[in-house]
Amino acid sequence: MKFNTLKTIRLTLALLFFTPLLLYFCDFTNILPPLLHGLAHIQLVPAIMLGSVGILTALFLLTVLFGRIYCSVICPLGVLQDIIAWFAGRSRKKNGKKRRFAYAKPQTALRYSLLVACVLFLIFGITAPVLYLDPYSNFGRIAVNLFRPLAMEGNNLINWIALKFNNYGFYHVTIYTITGLSLTIAAVALTVVALTAFLRGRLFCNAVCPVGSLLGIISKFSVFRIVLDPSKCTSCGRCEKACKSQCIDSKEKTADTSRCVACFNCLNKCKSDGIAYRFALPFSRKQELHDNPHTSRRSFLLTGVGAMATLPFIPAWAKTATADRTKLTPITPPGSKSLTHFKKHCTACHLCITHCPQQILKPAGFNFGWEYAFKPHLTFYESAFCNYECTVCSEICPNGAIKRLTAEEKSVTQIGIARFDIERCVVYSDRTSCGACSEHCPTRAVKMEPYEGALTLPRVYDELCIGCGGCESICPVRPVKAINIQAVDVHQTAKKEQDEQIEEVDGDRLDFGF
Amino acid sequence: MKRRDFFKTSATLGVAALTFDKLQAAIETKTMMKETVSDMVAVMGGEPAQLLDMALKEMGGIRKYVKKGQSVVIKPNIGWDKRPDFAANTNPELIKALVEHCIRAGAGKVTVFDHTCDNWQKCYENSGIRKAAEAAGATVVPANDEVYYREVKLPQARILKSAKIHQALLEADVWFNVPVLKNHGGAQMSIAMKNYMGIVWDRTYFHANNLQQCIADICTLPKKPALNIVDAYRCMRKNGPQGRSVADTRVLKTLIVSKDIVAADTAAIGLFNQVQPMDIKKVGHIANGEKLKLGTQNIDKLNVKRIKI
Repeated sequence: MKFNTLKTIRLTLALLFFTPLLLYFCDFTNILPPLLHGLAHIQLVPAIMLGSVGILTALFLLTVLFGRIYCSVICPLGVLQDIIAWFAGRSRKKNGKKRRFAYAKPQTALRYSLLVACVLFLIFGITAPVLYLDPYSNFGRIAVNLFRPLAMEGNNLINWIALKFNNYGFYHVTIYTITGLSLTIAAVALTVVALTAFLRGRLFCNAVCPVGSLLGIISKFSVFRIVLDPSKCTSCGRCEKACKSQCIDSKEKTADTSRCVACFNCLNKCKSDGIAYRFALPFSRKQELHDNPHTSRRSFLLTGVGAMATLPFIPAWAKTATADRTKLTPITPPGSKSLTHFKKHCTACHLCITHCPQQILKPAGFNFGWEYAFKPHLTFYESAFCNYECTVCSEICPNGAIKRLTAEEKSVTQIGIARFDIERCVVYSDRTSCGACSEHCPTRAVKMEPYEGALTLPRVYDELCIGCGGCESICPVRPVKAINIQAVDVHQTAKKEQDEQIEEVDGDRLDFGF
Repeated sequence: MKRRDFFKTSATLGVAALTFDKLQAAIETKTMMKETVSDMVAVMGGEPAQLLDMALKEMGGIRKYVKKGQSVVIKPNIGWDKRPDFAANTNPELIKALVEHCIRAGAGKVTVFDHTCDNWQKCYENSGIRKAAEAAGATVVPANDEVYYREVKLPQARILKSAKIHQALLEADVWFNVPVLKNHGGAQMSIAMKNYMGIVWDRTYFHANNLQQCIADICTLPKKPALNIVDAYRCMRKNGPQGRSVADTRVLKTLIVSKDIVAADTAAIGLFNQVQPMDIKKVGHIANGEKLKLGTQNIDKLNVKRIKI
């Protein structure tokens, strides 16, 4: 077999993109360089959510020139599928059978209906369809909820062994940020993707994935493409069997470039030099232009009808989504501006969940409404609250759902306000000193004010409070705490307490005092 | 050899031999012999390392407390993600100097930790203590997870009958309690006794069950620190325990060292009162500690050495 240069390059690049991103998603210690979040920024859906013209233009040019390289190299879920299929293929080889693909008809109606649905919902500010279908977000949830815990438990095992030898080089981590629901959605996504990858190659990318469908539209016109040479092709089917996109029809001697993910697996399979990845003008070949005209027209109509059918419902759904005012309002991360902004931009990739040093960002369930499901919200528990000057989540969010904050801005960004319930407070109920809430307050918004005798009672100064949860996290009252953060829908700027003048102590007058 | 010396030596050896398994007793015997060693030393007017040198010298030298090959734990206050000039944490220079003393005395291992309130890594970094301690040869270990703690009974305690204590401290041969002098919103003052809360895992219990008594209770831990070294180089005058700004601090350039934790806290409050009024009666854990026989508030009874540089 001939050496497949393009495939080797593709594999190398894919691993160079995939490995750091996977590690970055599992990096609970925050030791990897922060610039790795760039690998999340170049993903298509985040770029759309952020409205990054530069990245979108670059991805468009890449696709229009070379086809869906994105799906084989940049998309982590695509590479993950390849890795799974490769492992699965290896285990099958032992049984003597090698996995073969065969040409399959395109799922045109399905793929474009899903794409249109995603787009329409996004226009109305609803991220749900994209959230469930976006390959990057799905990959993120798989990595954060399934792979990261493994890394953490591995670390704990090493730490446990090290502790036996009185070695404190590692530190134990407790996993707080996984819920049954987030684990389930990640497991379901992984199962679906693994099964389709194993049985039908890139079926997910070509039937379900909205990114694949969008890029497929562009790659129809790509300048470099897989082309079968009818004069040389013997319709032996070797390339077809190697095509995981199931887009090469060796009988018709055509390749469907809208489904081709530019993996180049087919290139060295041909014995008669009948297949090549080369410059070719779109529609230069008859077959492609009129590739099954009836099916494409039918698909187009179906898609159109499907889209039209959902259209009237979207505004109504959008209304329920925004008007979904259950009593519970999630506390959104600092930098997310408002509940509305955050809901509109977050696709729940869970990158911020991995990197929150306090593990207080937790994926929500359906308790904040279906539009908020799986998106992170702040939770406070023992000794875990939002670090006063920490801006990690705002720096790494690729979607712009959490806008970048400076430490200065962060320290006055009000995401919630502490609400004090005197009836629950131990100072009131047990007549003992406590003050844990005030102790933990970084902004002096919770002050201990004279109560009875030596006792002092907390009082919240709303305008100083940023809702970091320091007070709530440490309040000893159980099960319901005496001080709790209530989210503010639109984040505000808190006041900063003025510093006092420094009075210099007269050093000469100072004595021991005892 | 004079006859008197011979008797003295024989008696000492006899006592030492009798209580060989109780090293503590032997050390106390030695203390009684050397009348130059004080119950408490307060040094004022120097840099942290200098203050410590003077104080340790007066207390009989570091070798009196740290023997060759012993493992030592130093427990500073590293509770908050604050720079050293906020005086929210123990002075890193003091910690560095103490680690150096221990290593020079031949300590096998010097370990530093605190169960922090803010994110532990940020506290360790921004307090400057990790860098200072490691530079001097100490190991700075985490205390952020329950796996590091082991349940210990506190038979003498009133309320806190048991607590989960950091295993590094339980395993150490010697430990030093090195708090910083601070005002505190809940406990009123945070000095040596309050600093014990950083060796404990479940502090919520303290707050929910009479904080002032629980602080005294945790100090009944049978394993007492070799010395309480109160850092009053810079104290936090108000808005403790975190402080709002550098304006909340005062530079006192003082160090108070004593084996008696109640006396150390009492003396520190005396010093503190010169920059900010604080009624010691409000700091309930000190009187509670005295009731539990942890020490005395009556400093005049003690042999106190006051040094001004």
